[in-house]
Amino acid sequence: MDRKKSGISYAKWGYIFVAPFFIAYIIFTLTPQLMTFYNSLFMNYRDGLMQVGPKFVGLKNFISLFTPDKSGSIGMLKYFGNTMILWVMGAVPQVAVALLLAVFFTSTRLNIKGQQFFKTVIYMPNLIMAAAFSMLFFTLFSPVGPINKILVSSGMAKASIDFLNLKVPVRVLISLMNFLMWFGNTTILLMAGIMGIDQGLFEAAYIDGASSLQVFKNVTLPLLKPILVYVIITAMIGGIQMFDVPQVLTNAKGTPDRASMTMVMYLNNYLQTSKNYGMAGAISVILFIISAALSLIVYRSMSATYRQNRGRHRDRDK
Amino acid sequence: MTEINNKKAARQLLICRIVVYAILIFLTVLCLFSFVMMIVNSSRSNAQLQGGFTLKWGGHFLDNLRNAWTDASINIPRGMLNSFIIAACCAVLTTYFSALTAYGIHVYDFKLKNTMFMFIMAVMMIPTQVSAVGFIQLVNKFHLTNNYLPLILPSIAAPVVFFYMKQYLESVLPIGMVEAARIDGSSEFRTFNQIVLPIMKPAIAVQMVFAFVASWNNYFIPALLLDKAELKTVPIMIAQLRSADYSKFDMGKVYMFILLAILPVMVVYIILSKSIIRGATDGAVKG
Amino acid sequence: MKKVIALALTAVMTLSLAACGGGAASSAAETAESAAEEVKVEEAAEEPAEETTEEVAEAPAEEPAASDDSKIINIYAWNEEFKGFFEKYYTVPEGYTVNWVITPSDNGAYQQKLDEALLNQESAAAKDKVDMFLAEADYILKYTNSDFTQDVEAMGVTDFSNAYEYTVQAASDANGVVKGVSFQCCPSALIYRRSIAKDVLGTDDPAEVQELLSDWSKFEAVADTAKEKGYYMTASFAETYRVFSNNATSPWVDADGNLQFDPQIEAWIAQTEKFIEKDETLTAGIWDEEKNVQMFADGKTMCFFGPAWYFNFCMGNAQDPEKGCMGDWAICQGPQAHFWGGTWLLAPTGTDNADVVADIMNTFINDEEVCSNLVQNEAQFSNNQAVNAKFAEDPDYGSEFLGGQNDTAVFVELAKNIRFENQTIYDQLLNEGLQSNLQEYFKGNVDKETALNNFYSYVNETYPAIVTP
Repeated sequence: MDRKKSGISYAKWGYIFVAPFFIAYIIFTLTPQLMTFYNSLFMNYRDGLMQVGPKFVGLKNFISLFTPDKSGSIGMLKYFGNTMILWVMGAVPQVAVALLLAVFFTSTRLNIKGQQFFKTVIYMPNLIMAAAFSMLFFTLFSPVGPINKILVSSGMAKASIDFLNLKVPVRVLISLMNFLMWFGNTTILLMAGIMGIDQGLFEAAYIDGASSLQVFKNVTLPLLKPILVYVIITAMIGGIQMFDVPQVLTNAKGTPDRASMTMVMYLNNYLQTSKNYGMAGAISVILFIISAALSLIVYRSMSATYRQNRGRHRDRDK
Repeated sequence: MTEINNKKAARQLLICRIVVYAILIFLTVLCLFSFVMMIVNSSRSNAQLQGGFTLKWGGHFLDNLRNAWTDASINIPRGMLNSFIIAACCAVLTTYFSALTAYGIHVYDFKLKNTMFMFIMAVMMIPTQVSAVGFIQLVNKFHLTNNYLPLILPSIAAPVVFFYMKQYLESVLPIGMVEAARIDGSSEFRTFNQIVLPIMKPAIAVQMVFAFVASWNNYFIPALLLDKAELKTVPIMIAQLRSADYSKFDMGKVYMFILLAILPVMVVYIILSKSIIRGATDGAVKG
Repeated sequence: MKKVIALALTAVMTLSLAACGGGAASSAAETAESAAEEVKVEEAAEEPAEETTEEVAEAPAEEPAASDDSKIINIYAWNEEFKGFFEKYYTVPEGYTVNWVITPSDNGAYQQKLDEALLNQESAAAKDKVDMFLAEADYILKYTNSDFTQDVEAMGVTDFSNAYEYTVQAASDANGVVKGVSFQCCPSALIYRRSIAKDVLGTDDPAEVQELLSDWSKFEAVADTAKEKGYYMTASFAETYRVFSNNATSPWVDADGNLQFDPQIEAWIAQTEKFIEKDETLTAGIWDEEKNVQMFADGKTMCFFGPAWYFNFCMGNAQDPEKGCMGDWAICQGPQAHFWGGTWLLAPTGTDNADVVADIMNTFINDEEVCSNLVQNEAQFSNNQAVNAKFAEDPDYGSEFLGGQNDTAVFVELAKNIRFENQTIYDQLLNEGLQSNLQEYFKGNVDKETALNNFYSYVNETYPAIVTP
């Protein structure tokens, strides 16, 4: 667009500015990643202290990932399903609530008192290590935990409920924890985004007689879109990478019946004892394909509408 | 007419406020609950904790604090210092270089620009656990275990932070400002450091907090790379305490350690969260 | 905003210093100092500043004093237990420095760290070579049956006459070459509530109780009686697992790498199915809170299984001054002899301090004073028969927790019957995996077939070399 006319002579600066990032990335992330992907074509694991392989096996690891087990279900698909369910249950309220709170906090009309306090508090769950946070929930909801004691003594339940071994409660708990841990983070991101918007635009809109809802829909949302895209994509990455909360809460087992086993937990199973770089590599490749596809869809659709909106604003500014 | 409207608007605003405060208080309770639990637990002795959970104050807070702070084998003050060094370095490197990269891609036009951008977008999705294995192999190969460099330097390249900075620049940085600076004779680095960085204050503050917290709480990689007692970070120490043998399975102390581990991050957060607000009011001058 | 910049400056300075020092203790101290100075400018960051200044004084002292690289003894361990005994009771020879490399066993991290070090042992610098490492019974075979450990008899540890045979067996490879020693012996007993035994069996005398519980059919019959009186026989579906699995007559994996279920394991599943059906046990795992609350005075469970260390470390509820039931316990052998736990000291190939390592091993199995201290002061059941016998025969020696019963005397008897056979390098995780997957079946969440299928998936992920049905 308008950058082009001044850009050409400055091209070398572009390379200089991005160089540190790419050098660091190539050394510390890309090399290990490529090693991982390359590994997916090999049989390569440890049997005790004995190294088996690496021996080239082509796509055998991928084939065995998609081979149904005795009961006819394919592990990889099941864990993908689990991951998606857990993510949607946690991320939708996370982004929705965060958006709401960000608007509350930045609204000059509402002028919320004690903002500093609220903002600190909602971010606090993110400060606890996920493992410690899961441990707390585990204690709370265990069959002899306080929640069960309250339920039984108040007569709401006849016997204690084994929350951590029932499909729906486990999934709800995992989503709730992910929500609690991340909605504050998202709120702050969105707030920073909203505060970056020219305050004059809001004032102008209110003077024009727009309602709060209209301002939100026609001013905040379109201008917030870049950050919103970011938030949604990172929430998605977080969802796909979901690991420590279900790992600790279900003690790495994904109980019940592996219904809360996520893809990364599955990957981790191969990495821990057997150091099965072949299978882990194959799962990584699949994870990569899935997440790349999802992100591309979100990014494309969101940035398309964003560009349209921005175009409109430009016109209006003129 | 306007008076009625005003009255109506005032009533609406009041209802709005009540609803908003109700939501906020509900979320606050939800968020604080786990902290209350943790603080209460850190006041209970191991035997009390084994006996099941209550919200009753245990009365062993100072015992646990003393035990945790002076533990002979787990030097928590040292761990906090180590964690602080790593986390602070990571936070600074990650925000500065991500902003630099985002600026480079946002402002300049060069041949590989789009390829590079798409590349970063693509690699952003790769779960960290994937590269961890190769990373450990690599570090071992270069004999860099028990060194902070492999924990700090990779933070220069943080695709997610870069993406945030890029998105942020897109919404706040008018290209005309850069051009104006050039006309004034400002060098490219000066333009970035003195004009663009201040504009990005809110974004930088936010990502600094997140990077600091993420690094502070990072367990997986440091646990595999650090084994010298004087280099260990807080999460490793906590895990060590938890997996200690049964005779030392003092849960009261564990909760106290977790509490201590959170305090510095809270301090950093509170300091930086103030500047988020200040940064935003400063930053609103852009045109 | 100034604060952000100040903080950033601090961090940049810290970085530059840390970068040149490469993490050495001295540079860490410098960094600390500069960080402290910088941070102190900030009022709000006062707290970390105070800590850092404290650290400055301490840091240099931690630098190893030894100048000779080979005189550094690296000991790998997963916790501080042995380190504690070592520092109390062992005098390190002049000129040597001990460097403890402690990695928590969480998620198998200890074995991963150790494996990495052993695999790099040959190329490692003298100061980094592993000189001794600790291992547990469930995975000891992985190390003893490899070239990464060496014959301790060749190093000078030759007297095993006082050690319990199974501890020597466990540390030996397939050809009988001894690769290490254990500093403790862990025979496991049946621990019962005296008051419940009186109600159910009419007696709480250990000998009489043993007579009534001496085999599994008697045990199951008593479980029925206990149920009628309103008690649980055990508090975890897996409580008896170790008793069965320790007595297996075939290993988990056959010569061709096929997973197989030993009749003892099948017997455990069958018995547990019965117990669950009749509501004579709980569906809690052996470490679960749900089981532990049964140890309070108001608990309704008669039997637990565990070795000497179990009383102090797992039965805190029973010892609780208010809600516990101190003294209302006793031990006897139970239906089958078995053991649980134990820590072995192994000698890796390529250690450059073989003489010192041999001396450490000799001290912890043959030094009478050290072994007595372990029993007397540390509540261990030592790996020295003579020392244990001394306490077993002492009429004044008894446990308050067990109502005065001399537990060492019981364990001395139990230790005679321990067998260490049919082990594989896979045992720890196969046992754990079977229990956790079948737990879902016992809880009624899935059918048996699904539970076993999940167990097979788990085996495939954990041990690719094992062929599952």
